[in-house]
Amino acid sequence: MELILEQFPIVIQSLNIGFLQTLKLFFVTLLGAVPLGLIISFGSMSRFRPLSYLTKIIVWIVRGTPLMIQLLIIYYFPGLVLDNPIWGGGESGRFLAASVAFIFNYACYFSEIYRGGIQGVPKGQEEAGLVLGMTRSQIFFKVTLLQMIKRIVPPMSNEIITLVKDTSLARIIALQEIIWAGQAFLKGSQGISGAIWPLFFTAVYYLIFNGILTVLLGRLEKKLDYFR
Amino acid sequence: MKRRILSVLLCAAFAVSMLPGCGSDSSSADSSASSDSAASEDSQESDMQYVKDKGTLVVGITNFEPMDYKDESGEWVGFDADMAKAFAESLGVEAEFVEIDWDNKVLELDGKSIDCVWNGMTLTDEVTSAMECTNAYLNNAQVVVVPADVADQYQDTDSLSDLNFAVEAGSAGEEQVSALGLNYTAVTAQADALMEVEGGTCDAAVIDSLMASAMIGEGTSYEDLTYTIGLNSEEYGVGFRKGSDLAEELNNFFAESYADGSMQECAETYKVQAALIEQ
Amino acid sequence: MAILEVEHLNKSFENIEVLKDISFTLEKGQVLSIIGSSGSGKTTLLRCLNFLERPGGGKIRVNGETLFDAADPATMQESQIRKKRLHFGLVFQSFNLFPQYTALENVMLAKELLAKAQPDYKARKKEIHAGIEAEAKELLVQMGLEDRMGNYPHQLSGGQCQRVAIARALALKPDILCFDEPTSALDPELTGEVLKVIKGLADQETTMIIVTHEMAFARDVSSQVIFMDDGRILEQGTPEKVFEHPEEERTKQFLSRFTQG
Repeated sequence: MELILEQFPIVIQSLNIGFLQTLKLFFVTLLGAVPLGLIISFGSMSRFRPLSYLTKIIVWIVRGTPLMIQLLIIYYFPGLVLDNPIWGGGESGRFLAASVAFIFNYACYFSEIYRGGIQGVPKGQEEAGLVLGMTRSQIFFKVTLLQMIKRIVPPMSNEIITLVKDTSLARIIALQEIIWAGQAFLKGSQGISGAIWPLFFTAVYYLIFNGILTVLLGRLEKKLDYFR
Repeated sequence: MKRRILSVLLCAAFAVSMLPGCGSDSSSADSSASSDSAASEDSQESDMQYVKDKGTLVVGITNFEPMDYKDESGEWVGFDADMAKAFAESLGVEAEFVEIDWDNKVLELDGKSIDCVWNGMTLTDEVTSAMECTNAYLNNAQVVVVPADVADQYQDTDSLSDLNFAVEAGSAGEEQVSALGLNYTAVTAQADALMEVEGGTCDAAVIDSLMASAMIGEGTSYEDLTYTIGLNSEEYGVGFRKGSDLAEELNNFFAESYADGSMQECAETYKVQAALIEQ
Repeated sequence: MAILEVEHLNKSFENIEVLKDISFTLEKGQVLSIIGSSGSGKTTLLRCLNFLERPGGGKIRVNGETLFDAADPATMQESQIRKKRLHFGLVFQSFNLFPQYTALENVMLAKELLAKAQPDYKARKKEIHAGIEAEAKELLVQMGLEDRMGNYPHQLSGGQCQRVAIARALALKPDILCFDEPTSALDPELTGEVLKVIKGLADQETTMIIVTHEMAFARDVSSQVIFMDDGRILEQGTPEKVFEHPEEERTKQFLSRFTQG
């Protein structure tokens, strides 16, 4: 116990740095995947057949393979097969590769949720807008969008919470997120070696952050509760 | 008509998003440019020239006291780290340390995200067949780790047969226990193997003696563990890409450093002088 | 001159003809009821008039202006259609109110969006907004919804929703107001309040086309009745003529189901 107290400040500082990386990956993924998912969902709903087939195949591949494999492919493939290590070996390159893999993966998941949300808004809403002389963009922004958002908030909340935990997968390409930071003390780091508790302590970070997210997303859901 | 245009735009957006390199920052763009030229005449140009051209020797490591670890100021130090810096200096390039996932070390090398693995790496058949390795520079052993209170029961190889071992997957330790026909569970890291013993899910672990001396006993989380017999003796070497001329260059550098005593000096700093191999 | 002239209108869905050579006229201030069994093409006809479906052939004229001519592609431009729709209002069977807006906002929304396109909108923003709001409130009062203006659709009964939908359609002052089975989605005890409102509009000489299954109501409120069967107009004339002295056997058959029931 005394030992843990002694190690605590050093470990926390190191875990904070790791968690910062976790958060960075989380927010970058969210920022990229939310709009890209919309583009992909439009692609899969396109009336231009080749585009919708292509999109659906991509979504199928991305959703049908483990994110961990996708990370490995995106990071190592250019150097291994194309003999052109575009990402470089440094931390920023690894982060960039992880971001690309995460954004693409999550955009595909989001696109399916969006598709459900868009198709779930009754056709009559659009027709009512048309009959009232509204333009298609007015109908989208003033009528359909909010109804779509209301529909997608619960499934999106689930995905977002999962994303927080999934960021730990990026350690497969040696992105030093919080679990990596916690594990470092097992092997020895900054004069502390063979310490088990930091690894388990990382769970506290996930738990608190997901708690905050759950509350915020719950509030958003409540806010949209005023209509049905 | 509008829909058609939108579709074409989307196609273009996809095409762009499929080229992950587009968004990379300037530094990786630089490195890709220089490696482009390397790639075009890959067979002719040597690996040493490639490293010299880009100006950095990227050293793949894990956090492994006393070979590679961070000091209080956050700088990578250790016997391997200090030697790597000196070697890079002799080449006229910067040493850049990158923490890697040990399981992926060959991937990292071949994918050119690192230039060498220099991290107390045991020269196993697996390692020497996948990498261009230097001569051995440090002795090591695989030792059996057991709870201290039962340590006296396990002082010879015969006594180990009833135990359930935890070893790092792909490590020299795994090679040893499987050669002896012992029951074992493969885990992802040597540190995890210790955790298995501490948690009672395995009876014993086999890890590097250098690591064992740093990680268990007084002042660690594993105060009630100890290590007993050594299963073998083994040697550490540095790995480069297959066919690289840097391995030979490092052999020469080791020989020089050993001759002028700077290697011994460095070993003393990290208390591994006893294990040093004459070059 | 007739306010609405429909000539030889045709419509097919994937080789199935749902409208066959539909022609009729409607005078200003008159009420036209369209009756007929399900699948006879009544709703499709209304949707064609509102440009929700594109007819395969024929002409639609309002106040002498040709809004649609299958032979003239210039009448089908997307940008023009939006304006042309405003000649018509449509009240849906399932109301299609916007759930995220209050009753008042539902009535005001389209008018406000149209006002934004006016050149002097920015300068007179407040004034325009106040005008739209006053008109919308007046309409809702007329519909008997003075104490429901701030409610969201899910807080209203079906009959109240349909009355909001009628006010919403009236807010744009269409030349012709169309109803697509306005009471079919309502509980029987709620149909009365909606029919009363429509009757009130008829008394004010609002030009209307009503697709309905309420035969007594159609007879009471209409100046003209059309009986449709299998995509054709089978019988057409005053309520007395169609209901009392139908010429076609199909019409008699159809009407007998209602008198017996």
